[in-house]
Amino acid sequence: MIEVRQVSKVYQVGGQPVVALRDVNLSVRRGEIYGIIGLSGAGKSTLVRCINMLERPQSGSILVDGVDITRLEGEELRAARRQIGMIFQNFNLLQSRTVAGNVAFPLEIAGVPQAEIKRRVSDLLELVGLTDKAKAYPAQLSGGQKQRVGIARALANQPKVLLSDEATSALDPQTTKSILRLLLDINQRLGLTIVLITHEMQVIKEICDSVAVIENGTIVESGPVWQVFTEPRTAAARNFLRGVITPELPPEVLERLIAEGGGENQILRLSFLGEQAGQPLISSLIRLFDVDVNILYGSIDHIKDIPFGTLIVEVKGGGVNPSRLISYLRGRGVKVEVIAGVVEPDLDSAVGGLS
Amino acid sequence: MWSSQTWILLWGAFLETLYMVGFSTILATLGGLPLGVLLVVTAEGHILSHPLLNRILGSLVNVGRSIPFIILMVAIIPFTRLVVGTSIGTSAAMVPLTVAAIPFVARLVESALREVDYGVVEAAQAMGATPWQIITRVLLPEALPSLLLAVTITTINLIGYSAMAGAVGGGGLGDLAVRYGYQRFRVDIMLLTVLVLILLVQCLQALGDLGARLVDRRRRGAS
Ligand SMILES: Nc1ncnc2c1ncn2[C@@H]1O[C@H](COP(=O)(O)OP(=O)(O)O)[C@@H](O)[C@H]1O
Ligand SMILES: [Mg+2]
Repeated sequence: MIEVRQVSKVYQVGGQPVVALRDVNLSVRRGEIYGIIGLSGAGKSTLVRCINMLERPQSGSILVDGVDITRLEGEELRAARRQIGMIFQNFNLLQSRTVAGNVAFPLEIAGVPQAEIKRRVSDLLELVGLTDKAKAYPAQLSGGQKQRVGIARALANQPKVLLSDEATSALDPQTTKSILRLLLDINQRLGLTIVLITHEMQVIKEICDSVAVIENGTIVESGPVWQVFTEPRTAAARNFLRGVITPELPPEVLERLIAEGGGENQILRLSFLGEQAGQPLISSLIRLFDVDVNILYGSIDHIKDIPFGTLIVEVKGGGVNPSRLISYLRGRGVKVEVIAGVVEPDLDSAVGGLS
Repeated sequence: MWSSQTWILLWGAFLETLYMVGFSTILATLGGLPLGVLLVVTAEGHILSHPLLNRILGSLVNVGRSIPFIILMVAIIPFTRLVVGTSIGTSAAMVPLTVAAIPFVARLVESALREVDYGVVEAAQAMGATPWQIITRVLLPEALPSLLLAVTITTINLIGYSAMAGAVGGGGLGDLAVRYGYQRFRVDIMLLTVLVLILLVQCLQALGDLGARLVDRRRRGAS
């Protein structure tokens, strides 16, 4: 649906070039929710604003539904923009118009007849649950309600794509959840493709199908959310994940466990996805390898709607070859990360290849 | 306490002032509003970014603003003659009043439109709005309360200028104050004129404030 190819964007700030995007490639499939995560200043807004040409990249191309939007000007560009909705962190509603007036705005712009506007506005307000606020002004609404107006307005011209620039960053966690649920609902009901920018992994975890991690204007990692969550390849991705689903042991606890184990024990983080989350794993470990397994932490969570389990375990005794134990686990589809313990060189990647 | 003739004089001068100020406010707004809009939208990075045009317009406005009214009035006498056929009288006074007020209005409109959050403009751009649609449906309506106040300030300023224009034959309250109060030592008429001017300014300011507040209040939902 969206193909970003080799896009670069450089700003001139006081005569100095600031590279906001460097050779960015991105591929968003039709109907998916694609998350882009990065720290402040990483280039997220620049990237999403290139998709509707609020910013013009210096090089590269951006295909939206097969049309290279970077080549469009004037009326052609405006027509293309009507097919791309956008919502903002600061909502950007018209203070001079009521809720209904704000939702009607893009329809007026597009020259839709009045009767049709009335009908569509009422449908849209129902969709976002604001029918009773039609005559209110933005100043009278809460943040969450304002964003619902923003969403209704963005959907008015029945776009193929919705761009969201930190749409929940100004909202409290409760309201964030309800707005995310609304976006997911719209995505599923209307089959709308959504590109969503955030600096919070929690947002990605709740509703995204794919994720790209952006750092200093470069995409450093991307893929299906479950994959990036269970096997982050970059430090940037791991930093964002910290505390979201992969718990960290407090360092003093870790040190004590290592000291107590006399270097003999293994501390492993096991992650299971989907079906495997329910299988009896620990008991079979104990039976097969004759080891003691001490569960330090356990949780079941969800990535979008896939159940996702995490265990941190200490494995002791049995004089077992740790690499055999790990390859057994991986053979059963469990992701294994060695937090502390003996792992023979190269074994990790060699065994990883089998899983 | 005063003769009826005094009241007739005063009433006539009052109407002349209203006529002069009213028309020049309307004309100055017609000229200053588009100019103010242009000053905003041609600024670098705005919807019709044109830095060169922007700088030229800005300089013109500055020149207009820096000429003292009394000098402007004299300097454009040929132009005034061209437009109204004479350089004396109430109608003739409206020409320098309008010319002086246009750059003033332009700057007030500019600052009113600058207060509109650019994010809203970008939202409209993202929806595929044309520059004209953004001006007429976003910038101007969003800035309406400030624009009402701008017109109020312009009107009040023009009352002050009109008194000056009056002193050189334009008629109106200023003319009355100078001719009777100063030249014929009628201090009572002078004071009365000043009082009427004060009341007029107060009323206009109150009206402008009320208008702006009503628009603002409706948007904030206070009843
Ligand atoms: N309009 C602009 N002019 C100059 N520099 C900009 C502009 N917008 C963004 N930048 C710079 O580009 C980089 C990326 O910014 P941005 O895309 O806003 O990041 P993010 O949304 O991830 O916080 C930053 O270094 C920022 O300072
Ligand atoms: Mg940003």
